[in-house]
Amino acid sequence: MSDAPAIELTRVSRWFNGGAVRAVDDVSFAVPGGECFGLIGPNGAGKTTSFSMMCGYLRPTHGQLRVMGEDPGKAGALKRRVGVLPQDAVLPFGVKVGWLLTYWGKLSGLPQPEREAKESLEKMGLPNAWGMEPQELSHGMGKRVAMAQALMGTPPVLLLDEPTSGLDPKIAAQVRGVIREAKGKQTVVVSSHNLQELEELCDRAAILDRGKLQQVGTISELTSRSAEFRVQIAKGTVPLEELKGLKGCTGASLPQASMLVVQFDAKVLPDEEMITATLQLLIARGVFVLGVSRGRKLEERILELGDAPVAQAQVVSAT
Amino acid sequence: MEPLNEVTVIWGAELWRSIRSAKAIILLALYLMFTAMAVAIQVFIFRSIQTNINEQLALHGGSMDALQPQIEEVRHGFLGWLLGGDETLIESIAQVPLIVLVTFKITLYFLPIYIAIIGFDQISGEIGPRSIRYLTVRARRSSILWGKYLSQATLLAGLVLVVDVALVLVARWMTPSFQLGVMAGTFLKCWVAATVFSLSYVALSTLCSSLFRSPAVSLVFNILTLFGLWLVNKIGESAAGFMVQEAALAQARGEEAPAPSRVATVLSWLQYVSPSHYSDNLLHPHFLKFLGSTAIYAGFAAAFLACGYAVLRRRDL
Repeated sequence: MSDAPAIELTRVSRWFNGGAVRAVDDVSFAVPGGECFGLIGPNGAGKTTSFSMMCGYLRPTHGQLRVMGEDPGKAGALKRRVGVLPQDAVLPFGVKVGWLLTYWGKLSGLPQPEREAKESLEKMGLPNAWGMEPQELSHGMGKRVAMAQALMGTPPVLLLDEPTSGLDPKIAAQVRGVIREAKGKQTVVVSSHNLQELEELCDRAAILDRGKLQQVGTISELTSRSAEFRVQIAKGTVPLEELKGLKGCTGASLPQASMLVVQFDAKVLPDEEMITATLQLLIARGVFVLGVSRGRKLEERILELGDAPVAQAQVVSAT
Repeated sequence: MEPLNEVTVIWGAELWRSIRSAKAIILLALYLMFTAMAVAIQVFIFRSIQTNINEQLALHGGSMDALQPQIEEVRHGFLGWLLGGDETLIESIAQVPLIVLVTFKITLYFLPIYIAIIGFDQISGEIGPRSIRYLTVRARRSSILWGKYLSQATLLAGLVLVVDVALVLVARWMTPSFQLGVMAGTFLKCWVAATVFSLSYVALSTLCSSLFRSPAVSLVFNILTLFGLWLVNKIGESAAGFMVQEAALAQARGEEAPAPSRVATVLSWLQYVSPSHYSDNLLHPHFLKFLGSTAIYAGFAAAFLACGYAVLRRRDL
């Protein structure tokens, strides 16, 4: 997989109603080839608009967007380069799923469209859907058929919008397995509200809020995994001042009675040493500990966005 | 070659979908039913006229043969009114039963509405539920437009073929003098004429379908456009007719024909705006006249499709 970005957004904006609504505003980031990249943000953050621009469904008002070096708005630019799972596109009724996938395979110019269609359906655990019509499928089955069409022909880029929404846990895990399998071989962009899923799947992510890029970086960086950890307290009095005096510690607080948050400078003391030193001190002071977790949950990072003013993008790691 | 392959794949697939759908069968049944109704009404009218003539002959004496010149004169006058008074054209269809020509003209009159009902959702039916998103990552928007258009045009050509075969067979059954050679020629002419005529209206329905996300709105807009074109055509024809009438009256009075008013002249041009204005020459025996009309229909189709593509190309999906 080459180091050239598979997807590159340079100062991309998309306005509606003559600029009254700025769904995406001056967003720049790049997704290197072979990476699994997440698009994160609350409702109205601009995730779907960004996603739609990558798929060529919408054109940017300003800025430049490239997918595999091509402008997605250019006729035929995405053919065989991109597999897309659109979030809310209905599968056409009145034809068999097998026929539909074979038709799309032919349209993509795949050499063996029927075989590709069958293999994709099998990959999604739906070989029996071949002879069914889309209106006969449950929501979950329809989602997996839509996912199967995106996988056909193993395109170099996969754009997946909410790939597991509405799926039961077992099927969702299967879909995640397929995405995991694609990582490294294909560039995968996942837009999802399921932050736990994104933490699990993605190498890097972009956090969007109200159309602006808030932060882009590795999941570890976004969750401050290497600069913060949390200790769940069972009982005892936490010696906050003593903790703050530890080497490398930059802050300690108790946002809840049972939750200790410690910030530290990883350059001064590595994670494992900082956590061990903290636990030793707590145990020495008679504090009972239930567990330790590194960093914040991605969910907490998103919740922090809340009413905070939209800031300039903080690029944690350049690509 | 890739765009051509895309168009071919979409054309074939969409045609297959249409043929398999209940919609195509219902529309064929509707078209056949409507044509049968038109034939039945004509049969009723012709039989009434025939009965009336027979009664008059029985009352006053005389034979049908003696009336033949008058009947021919009436037929000639009627065809002149029906087909725009072109003597060569009227002469070329002298052997064709009136019922075929009248039914053909009636079907041409209502074919645009029928086409709108067939094709109103060809693009908007994909944009509304966003299923077009599965296509645009695989094919150019121009290929989608062309593929859909060609599938609708092919479906329509097939439906018209079935109806025209039925029409000439019924005419043959009712008019034993309608010879096989003339039958085949008439069928071919009617089918080609109706298909060429349809090309522009299918393209118009493709354009209307590209303009909106909702298929229902596309249908309403398409029908309103057809009504607008019909109205404009009628206004143009009336203005042209008025100018001819004025000139004829002046000539009858032995005066010099007055110069047509500017308003009447401008209004008379409106008749050329509607594709239906050029339909008579589609049956013309002179190939160049037929070709001229065909070129005009192709021009209308190209203009409508170009507008449809311009809209679809810029559209957010």
